[in-house]
Amino acid sequence: MSTSETQYLEGKASEDYKHGFYTDIDAETAPDGLTEDVVRYIAHRKDEPEWLLEWRLKAFRHARDRIDGGETIDWAHLDYEAPKFDEISYFSAPKETASYDSIDEVPDEILETFERLGIPLEEQKALTGVAVDAVMDSVSVATTFKEKLKEKGVIFKSFGEAAKEHPEIVREYMGTVVPYTDNLYAAINSAVFSDGSFVYVPEGVTCPMELSTYFRINEAGTGQFERTLIVAEPGAYVSYLEGCTAPMRKENQLHAAVVELVAHEDAEIKYSTIQNWYPGDPDTGEGGVYNLVTKRGLCKGDNSKISWTQLETGSAVTQKYPSVILAGDDSVGEFYSVAFTKGHQQADTGTKMQHIGKNTKSTIISKGISADVADNSYRGQVKVSKNADNARNFSQCDSMLLGPDCGAHTYPYIESNNPSAQIEHEATTSKVGEDQMFYCHQRGLGEEEALKLIVNGFCQEVLQELPMEFAVEAKELLDIELEGSVG
Amino acid sequence: MTTTLDTDVRPEDRFISAFEVNHGQALNGTNASIAQQREDAIERFAQLGIPTNDLEAWKYTNIAKTIDRPYTLPLAPEGPSLDPSDVAPFTIDEMDAHRVVLVNGRVDASLSDIGDLPSGVVLSSLAQAGEEHPSLVEEHYGQYADFENEALTALNTAFVQDGAFVYVPSGTVVEKPIFFLHVTAGPESLFLQPRHLFVVEDGAIAKIVETQHSLTDAQTFTNTVSEAFVGERANLKHYLVQDEGPHASQVHTRAGQQKDDSVYSTNTITFSGDVVRNNATVEVNGSFCESNLYGLCIGKGEMHVDNHTQMNHVQPDCNSNELYKHVLNDESTAVFNGKVLVTRGSQRIDAYQQNDTIVLTTDANIYTKPELEIYADDVVCSHGATTGQVDEEGVFYLRSRGLSERRAHILMLQAFTDEVLSEYKIAPLRSYITDKIRRRFGSYFE
Repeated sequence: MSTSETQYLEGKASEDYKHGFYTDIDAETAPDGLTEDVVRYIAHRKDEPEWLLEWRLKAFRHARDRIDGGETIDWAHLDYEAPKFDEISYFSAPKETASYDSIDEVPDEILETFERLGIPLEEQKALTGVAVDAVMDSVSVATTFKEKLKEKGVIFKSFGEAAKEHPEIVREYMGTVVPYTDNLYAAINSAVFSDGSFVYVPEGVTCPMELSTYFRINEAGTGQFERTLIVAEPGAYVSYLEGCTAPMRKENQLHAAVVELVAHEDAEIKYSTIQNWYPGDPDTGEGGVYNLVTKRGLCKGDNSKISWTQLETGSAVTQKYPSVILAGDDSVGEFYSVAFTKGHQQADTGTKMQHIGKNTKSTIISKGISADVADNSYRGQVKVSKNADNARNFSQCDSMLLGPDCGAHTYPYIESNNPSAQIEHEATTSKVGEDQMFYCHQRGLGEEEALKLIVNGFCQEVLQELPMEFAVEAKELLDIELEGSVG
Repeated sequence: MTTTLDTDVRPEDRFISAFEVNHGQALNGTNASIAQQREDAIERFAQLGIPTNDLEAWKYTNIAKTIDRPYTLPLAPEGPSLDPSDVAPFTIDEMDAHRVVLVNGRVDASLSDIGDLPSGVVLSSLAQAGEEHPSLVEEHYGQYADFENEALTALNTAFVQDGAFVYVPSGTVVEKPIFFLHVTAGPESLFLQPRHLFVVEDGAIAKIVETQHSLTDAQTFTNTVSEAFVGERANLKHYLVQDEGPHASQVHTRAGQQKDDSVYSTNTITFSGDVVRNNATVEVNGSFCESNLYGLCIGKGEMHVDNHTQMNHVQPDCNSNELYKHVLNDESTAVFNGKVLVTRGSQRIDAYQQNDTIVLTTDANIYTKPELEIYADDVVCSHGATTGQVDEEGVFYLRSRGLSERRAHILMLQAFTDEVLSEYKIAPLRSYITDKIRRRFGSYFE
């Protein structure tokens, strides 16, 4: 290796985690632990309507019972200490919680944070046409492009605002796709969710721009419990982007979000995620975010479509299964995923496709890349109900191993109760082909460049599903992640 | 001696109290280490309990419900005396084999026809082997089947009395197949726990065929544990045909251990049964080995067949192939859960796994879960699973060649199953199976 290349790599190595900095903003934090008082405090603090508090309390009692009953979620291929639910602070909000009329009113500190993350609001406004609902420690601080969306009748708000301003819609859909009884984390989220995004696209409207929210976990020791609800009325279309980064932190941080999507007849929802939270110390695995998320979409109407695309590169522990319930006839569910784990990262991710309506189709493309001593699992379920005639599924799960000490695992569950179902599942596990490397070398590419090229090619099928703005960022992110993986 | 299991208490306690009542009846008389295993096993069984659906490995098969029936637990089953004519329909006479008939898990010499064996080869009951070759039994018995994590293996280990035993010494080739014909008979609802041990030493070659039949309409349960040791450069082919009828349930646990350069193939065909669970575990504890796991389930009626396989690659430079196929008719249910494990450092492994299912009716169900767990990077592992119907284009082609719809469907299904049968290297056995399958498919379209 040449000196300049060494220097370059050393430079890259020292910038290991690009987004690891901490914004110094006064924040209010609720007392630690999950108690009724905390739930009431959160509801009061956010000035929520009574019905929402009632709902939270119901979820709280359920969550409390499950925690007191000693419930743990240990079936996944993950090895980590379960979060201590009574040592977590369930709410933290930047002190100045006012909603801003214009960007100018947002404190410079916060704007700066976003700038360092590479999402200057002004620039995005001008160049990309992306409306950004920036969530900073749970409370929405800036929302742009409201006017343009308003024209079309699209509602894009923080969850808290939506609950106040559009209670009839929120009440109708909230908890219908992911009920608070669904799992322990969904129950906790339902009790103490801080904020999140709400999107409503009226009948026949194609949302004029990609909607995007950046989440950041900021306050030390606080979990973040977003709740996102997207409703697409008949014939509507919306594409939603979610991107995540988190500052460097020593202790483990819990992130247990709930995302619910509802697509009515002929509607389509496309949900894309880039997750790049702090993965913990690469040598010891210390610290890092626990990303334990419940995401589910309901294809309620005939001909509806829900598509999940995700690029998971961060977090110490990732456990998420964005799923689609294909209830409407001829509905379509898609799942495209790249999960990259290195260092001591662990990921157990996949999807669930539940075919209920007739002539439903689902596609699952999952690419797992594992390096160092990381473990990467795909866990997915395809279920065809008795009446789901002519259901069709295609699944492909490929794993790539970069190094002798990492692990890649595949756990697909296929349950078919209908004879007309056609289900195909394929999975492969292998390392980067020596012949591929050789070919790249003889075309003049160095080892690292070759690896980047091959891995990018391996993930191409998924990355091309991302919206343009994200696809570029995703490729960059993968390249950065791969640096230092050549051994 | 028989013990009727008391159905008023928890199923686990029935067995534990039956064990205590009959305490001290050591297996094979003298062997202390086997007696000790028995104690450890019942203790472990008490801790594990009978598996419920909450356990991932038993998610789709409610074995607890099947075990919770009023069975009779014979400690040393005295088989009812059968005439050769009783077993005549099952003897596969075209197959020239060393035939051993086991009635209710015990060897019945009068029905058997062992013939001449190559020198040094032992073919007997496990109890007899325990007396005549104690060191051989002790060396291998209980070494491969894991009772620490499998409650039913623990249960079998606690109550072990008898079963089949094969020993093929180093460098010996047994040309003719060794054929174990298992028959369940008698009016009682038996809970049988046979135990088999097959030892094929370095460089030896053997083929073992097992078929299972029932002569009774009583509800029976057979909890079999079968261990196989395949030495260096040895080759063992093991065929199992399950056709016990609609009243017989079973858990059949097979554990194989392979040494360097060995080949081990198992092939399981299930024609009938009530609830059938097959656990096949292969531990490839050597390099340059080949392992083949094949299975076929021809579902009819309400049968429930669960094939659970575990392919453990703990040494480098091996390859394994796994192929399971199901054809499901009526209200039958099939479960396939295959796992390939490649441990850290087990480089250069090629492991393939495939599970294909044809579902013919709306009441048939398939649950499949092919798993890969890989901890080494220089490997090529893949799995695939498909579920679908008979290819209508194929049927159309055959019809255009003048075949009736019925014939065309039967032929298509036969073609589907043939891939598994191609592993049958014993021609008479293959034609026996093929014929059985054809008749079964024929009955689908009457």
